[in-house]
Amino acid sequence: MNLKISALEFIEEAKNGNISVEEFVSATLERINSVDDKLHAFLSVNDNALDQARNIDKKIKSGEKVGDCFGMPISIKDNMCIKDTKTTCASKMLENFVAPYDATVISKLKKQDAIFIGKVNMDEFAMGLTTEFSAFGPSKNPWNIEHVPGGSSGGSAVSVSSYECIASLGSDTGGSVRNPASFCSTVGYKPTYGLISRYGLISYANSIEQIGPLTRTVKDTAFMLNLIAGVDPNDNTTVNNNNEDYLENIDSGIEGKKIGIITEMIGDGIDPDVMTATKEAISKLEGLGAICEEVSLEMVKYSVAAYYTITATEAGSNLARYDNLRYGYEMPVEGYEFNSYISKARKNFGPEVTRRMIIGGFVPSAGHAGKYFLKAMKVKSKLTKEINDAFKKFDLLIAPTVPILPFKIGEKIDDPVSLFLVDINTVTANLTGKPAISIPFKIVNGLPIGIQLMANSMNDKMLLQAAHALEKTVTLPEIPI
Amino acid sequence: MVTVEEIEHVSKLMKIDVDDHSEYLEKVQTMISYFDILDSAGVESEEISMPEIPIEQLRNDEYIPFEDKLIEKMNHYKGTFVRAPKM
Amino acid sequence: MTKIGLEIHCQLTNLQSKLFCSCKANYREFEPNENICPVCAGMPGSLPRLNQEAVKKATMISMALNCSTPEKIAFFRKNYFYPDLPKNFQITQLNIYGDTSVGGSGTITVGDKKIRITRIQLEEDPGRLIYEGSSSKNQITLVDYNRAGTPLVEIVTEPDFETPKEVRDFLNILSDLLKNLGVADPSLEGAMRADANVSTRGGNKVEIKNIGSFHDLEKAAHFEITRQESLHDRDIPIAQETRHWDDRRKITVSSRSKEEDLDYRYFLEGDIPWVKINPEIKTELKSKMPESISSKKERYVTKYQIPEQVADVLSSDKFYSDLFEESHSETNAKEVANIITTELMGLEDTREKREASKLTASHLKDLADAIQTGKVSRNSSKNALHEILKTGKSVSQIISELDLGNVSDESELLKIIDQVISNESEAVEQAKSNPQTINYLVGKVMQATKGKADPTSTLNLLKKQIGI
Repeated sequence: MNLKISALEFIEEAKNGNISVEEFVSATLERINSVDDKLHAFLSVNDNALDQARNIDKKIKSGEKVGDCFGMPISIKDNMCIKDTKTTCASKMLENFVAPYDATVISKLKKQDAIFIGKVNMDEFAMGLTTEFSAFGPSKNPWNIEHVPGGSSGGSAVSVSSYECIASLGSDTGGSVRNPASFCSTVGYKPTYGLISRYGLISYANSIEQIGPLTRTVKDTAFMLNLIAGVDPNDNTTVNNNNEDYLENIDSGIEGKKIGIITEMIGDGIDPDVMTATKEAISKLEGLGAICEEVSLEMVKYSVAAYYTITATEAGSNLARYDNLRYGYEMPVEGYEFNSYISKARKNFGPEVTRRMIIGGFVPSAGHAGKYFLKAMKVKSKLTKEINDAFKKFDLLIAPTVPILPFKIGEKIDDPVSLFLVDINTVTANLTGKPAISIPFKIVNGLPIGIQLMANSMNDKMLLQAAHALEKTVTLPEIPI
Repeated sequence: MVTVEEIEHVSKLMKIDVDDHSEYLEKVQTMISYFDILDSAGVESEEISMPEIPIEQLRNDEYIPFEDKLIEKMNHYKGTFVRAPKM
Repeated sequence: MTKIGLEIHCQLTNLQSKLFCSCKANYREFEPNENICPVCAGMPGSLPRLNQEAVKKATMISMALNCSTPEKIAFFRKNYFYPDLPKNFQITQLNIYGDTSVGGSGTITVGDKKIRITRIQLEEDPGRLIYEGSSSKNQITLVDYNRAGTPLVEIVTEPDFETPKEVRDFLNILSDLLKNLGVADPSLEGAMRADANVSTRGGNKVEIKNIGSFHDLEKAAHFEITRQESLHDRDIPIAQETRHWDDRRKITVSSRSKEEDLDYRYFLEGDIPWVKINPEIKTELKSKMPESISSKKERYVTKYQIPEQVADVLSSDKFYSDLFEESHSETNAKEVANIITTELMGLEDTREKREASKLTASHLKDLADAIQTGKVSRNSSKNALHEILKTGKSVSQIISELDLGNVSDESELLKIIDQVISNESEAVEQAKSNPQTINYLVGKVMQATKGKADPTSTLNLLKKQIGI
């Protein structure tokens, strides 16, 4: 069974009866068995997957209407609620939490007969860039298992690139879908803020994060977006996309499109191989008829500091509900006083989450809010103004997704600021709410490099067209696993 | 510069028992010092903006009970109360 | 100089659903934790969904209190840990980025004084706690989330009150206003709570929390003023602190001050966009708003010539002013108002009596008409009213059954008057010289007719017959 196919290819084959869903899912489960000990993408695997696959085969054979996914196996980052399933956020604080409801994206995919093959690994509560902060052990980069796969949606990227599933849903707060997608050589998408409902996504920084698909091809991402985007009454921050069809006219190309190269994202500290790859991508785009020119976004220099200040504040508040009273892990309440119980229970947060909570209590506090939190909010406003101005002149903006190659596990874990700066090219899209995509572009010394494109708010369709155009110019070697 | 006392104060505020505050001190100090860069951004006069929604798009006032018995899915409940430590 | 400021929390109990989810707003009929969902129970991944009607009602309250209402409102998080707070933060409103709470500054008239409203904000109620176990070691807190998320309107006043009585008067006016608007039922247990801040002789402000009813609020203010005055008299400075009202002992007690640790880290609620309330909506709300009490009173006085005191009482009570509107005609408004305020309100002085009463608007109209046309005297009408409440029979039926009919037939009345005149010749002579004393004769006629004679006609006829 060939697992190395895209979602659209799988659906075509399943629809025509050329492959049985049961066989495909069975082969997928075998693949997970054979490689996941090494890669550790999965936190849990769905025991009912084969049964669900058989049911879909039955539906196909009997001519009954089948959902658009035709049983395709999808992995879900473990911070999204699937009813009656463990949802841990890779944290000991939630190691016993069984979600009592489905996230909106999950209900939508369930209706379309997707199969959730398992929940995948992440940095604890989505705070991290490498999946090294998972309480259940790191995931490994399938291109080179001594290197990080990126994060926080590390498990998502690993499972897709190593053919343990056809696609995945991750979440992107500061680059958490695009960064691992770039490090593992898959497509990773962060939509316009509000395009995809966050109901059922366990919040980290709710004013800037979005759920996003990780897939093998840009068309697959467009397909997923068609299924999960759209206004949701359960999420007041969702916006109306008028049922846009993202697959339609995806082959339009980018003739005449103006693309801005963000100066601050190709500055000092960029790896020379990454710079070379970026220049190659720009040539390719020019070859397709685009016009590329440099543009400066001054606030990018402050974007990382602003990002971590804002997200720590929101995280400190979003994670306050984990007091272990209604959900969490086993720790009886007898014999404790309220404050001492909670303070002890919350020791189960990992060290990185604890650090962010302390920062999150500090930067918006009465004596310090003016210097840190309020300033960060103002940087966010000014950056938004700058990028809106840029989009008056340009249709798209380009930069490498990450300024450096995937690094070794353990290399940056003790150097917080150096780790922060890995995000410098990705946080802008989150702070400004703009859609952004990472496309796998090149492999250098066995390590992947991704290129990022951004568009203005609600221009997701055009962004996907551009990404698809660039993707068509790329051929990549096979993954060595 | 952030002091150990400030870190202790904040961890109490955030209800997290931190065993050895100095362990965190170094990393937290480094992170917060990095944020000092915000001072040179020159953004004092910026206004804070937020997305908007017209009142007509808000939820209609209707009583719709949740379909499951949610209390049964929670930890630490007795009868139908959630049990918490004494105040 | 005493200064008292208030923070009133009022539940919008007339809404169908909670502020951020579709669970029921009025939780009182449920067993513990039967009125909850992932949103109001603070489950991971849940998001708030703002109730449109709550925003409208809160805007109406702001308009009724003459407050400014901004074009856009915003919500904030107030972060602190408490077992009754499912998310360990409360979604509320603040004015730190300009005016973003549902009502800005306004005023309300209490007697001859204008009390300034600082602001009005929309926020969610926390859950409820009860305690199990006696010994302090074994005690367990039991949490019921049924109330969590109930919509609250918080009304904050400037410290413009100077006496506990002013506070009481204000609360009554506010209570009537909220009932009149149809947004809340203040009589429901726990529907209105208040905090107060009290300062005396220019000293420090003391906050008093945990006052469970309006009745207690007046008591608490009174106690606190007395406490502070006695400290002043002994030259002891007043500590700036938070005290709570001990309902059992009826005193204020210093709260163990955990205040120094409290830093709410307020910031914008990212899950709720700023809500635009455009002028058209506000105009629509204003037009739908029930007539204000003061405007009703004004109308009663000028249009129907109802005496001011009667108009005052009638306009402040929504139930009876509604009844008045339904029952009066062009000609009998004053009479209807009179019946309601002097008789009916006294007879139906409890909710149970009101609900058991069989009186309808048409009864009232018929009764007023009967009095005006002299079919029944005002005295007899009291008995009629009693019967109507009890039996619901028509006015004409009751008048004949109880033989309450007025002796209004002039010839019959004349006969009786002549009879009395001949029997009371001394009194008649007195009346000729001192006309005031004619009332004695009127009384005799009333006696003879068993109260059914119309006093006015009687008086006039008597005068005629006597020749004065």
